[in-house]
Amino acid sequence: MASVTFKKVCKKFGEFVAVNNFTLEIRDKEFLVLLGPSGCGKTTTMRMVAGLEEATSGDIYIDADRINGVLPKYRDVAMVFQSYALYPHLTVEDNIGYPLKIRKVEPAERKRRIAEVARRVELDTMLSRLPKELSGGQRQRVALARAIVRTPRVFLMDEPLSNLDAKLRTQMRAELKHLQHELQVTTIYVTHDQIEAMTLAHRVAVMNKGVIEQLGTPREIYNDPRTLFVAGFIGSPPMNLIPGEVKEGIFNSAGFRVGGFARANISRAVLGVRPEDVHAAPVEDDDVNLVAPIYSVELTGENTLVSLRLGGQLMTLRADKNFTGQIDEQIGVKVATDRVFLYNGETQDRVDF
Amino acid sequence: MEIVPKIHVRSRLREMLVRLTAYVTIVVALVVTLFPIYWIAANSFKFDIDIFAVPPEWVPKNPTLKHYDEAFIQRPFLRYALNSFLVAVGTTIVSVCFGTMAGYALARFSYPWQWRRQISFWILSTRMMPPIVSIIPLYLFFNYFDMLNTKSALIIAYTAFNLPFATWMMKSYFQDLPVELEEAAMVDGDTRWGAFLHVALPLARPGLAATAIFCLIISWNEFLLSLIITLTEQSQTLPIGIAGRVTQYNTYWGEISAAGFMACVPIVVFAFMVQKHLVRGLSLGAVKG
Repeated sequence: MASVTFKKVCKKFGEFVAVNNFTLEIRDKEFLVLLGPSGCGKTTTMRMVAGLEEATSGDIYIDADRINGVLPKYRDVAMVFQSYALYPHLTVEDNIGYPLKIRKVEPAERKRRIAEVARRVELDTMLSRLPKELSGGQRQRVALARAIVRTPRVFLMDEPLSNLDAKLRTQMRAELKHLQHELQVTTIYVTHDQIEAMTLAHRVAVMNKGVIEQLGTPREIYNDPRTLFVAGFIGSPPMNLIPGEVKEGIFNSAGFRVGGFARANISRAVLGVRPEDVHAAPVEDDDVNLVAPIYSVELTGENTLVSLRLGGQLMTLRADKNFTGQIDEQIGVKVATDRVFLYNGETQDRVDF
Repeated sequence: MEIVPKIHVRSRLREMLVRLTAYVTIVVALVVTLFPIYWIAANSFKFDIDIFAVPPEWVPKNPTLKHYDEAFIQRPFLRYALNSFLVAVGTTIVSVCFGTMAGYALARFSYPWQWRRQISFWILSTRMMPPIVSIIPLYLFFNYFDMLNTKSALIIAYTAFNLPFATWMMKSYFQDLPVELEEAAMVDGDTRWGAFLHVALPLARPGLAATAIFCLIISWNEFLLSLIITLTEQSQTLPIGIAGRVTQYNTYWGEISAAGFMACVPIVVFAFMVQKHLVRGLSLGAVKG
């Protein structure tokens, strides 16, 4: 069991800066998710912990051991690859047992431990098969079993669920979370899927262009997005981000007016509000923030997503599943003013008021 | 109702034509490649007089093993064959070993600037000059080290010519293997060398087989270097021995055919042995679900 610490870590590929001045402390037994779009440096960060990439500058520690330049085999980490990276010429049993064989664990003990993890991931009837004879979900389990067959100091998981179909992904997500809770091993998990991040993590580090935009619990990240990037990245459907201007405390964008920003004057502002904090209201109400025509109505089952035309863009609100509005019908909109976020369009940072 | 069968007939005719063309091409290719082999095989069992019979005697009417006796019992063709075998196998082992390691290094390691390309090209460029260019320096070299008329000299010379191809073939093979497999092995506790040995090498078996047979054929058939470097019966190889039966006064077609036919056999046998490895696809199913 171990903590992982990054101190001012930079990684350059030629002129390209993949990871920039990255500082982060991952606590013992923590499930930390690195979340970000592709190319944001999250996988590179993880590969530096595995020893598959070397940091250009800065230090990485597992517990008190500085691991820069240490060979992967001496780092005692286990990794699940996005492609699973199963050895195609070895059976499931030999794949799972590979880390033990390399560590010269006695054959009897090896067999016992393989059987144990195989049972845990429900592969005990498939030990003699080759990877090509398995389904995607089964391969994923083999990769997982290979990681947990020994007890490493840190688990590294590089988008392990991205090759599974939607149903299986949801199931494996729950299993992963349970497994991590049971094994109590520090885990670094890389994904671009914000739902995975929200559901799995103790803490999420949202990354963009090689830096951490925000670090916090899933709840903090969702309820308190500190930059425009985080606001737009987290949430499904994403937060409405409406450009406009703030004059004497009132935000205005193509007839959409929200008040209550004391003293503020910002010429390039962006107002953020989540779809669930926007409510439909009768057009004739006095305190509606906007009256606009409906662009589309999508029933998701548990509720209805309603898009409205606002200037050149769409604004989404999450309405009740019994919402009856029709396309092109005018409706009123009220936003929960205590649930809106105001961002400075130039600095991309949040303006607190 | 009328239109449907018409189109149907036309497409079937077309399909038949395509098939027919394919079969004819295959038959022509087979005749062109296999007939000469059949012809020397047939000639090796004929008496001298029948070899030149007009019209040609397609199947030996009075088969004889006379030429086999002449070549392998009375003349030292067994010795030549043994020399060829030792030299070809030696060259293949050395070339495949070094070619595999060099190919792996070129495929996997990182190089500053454009050195990967430069080094790869430089290795290949050694094959760009005709072998005759290097014969005199090689001759002087082996003479200096007193290695003329030795099989080791032939192995060294052949390896020099086989290694570039072996390196390039293995390089492209390793480049096709997903790098994550070796990364996984290293994270699982292996060294780079271990990952190469336990993961990359077993998966490169088809490549190894292809490279080995390539080296074997080249060395088994090589003529020019052997002709210059070796002069004694103890060191000469089969092609030199066979060519030696074209003499000032006579050309012994029967012996040449017998020895030539027997020279084909080992390569064909080896090719059959490694045939299944020559088919790609072992690494299918390694990645993606």
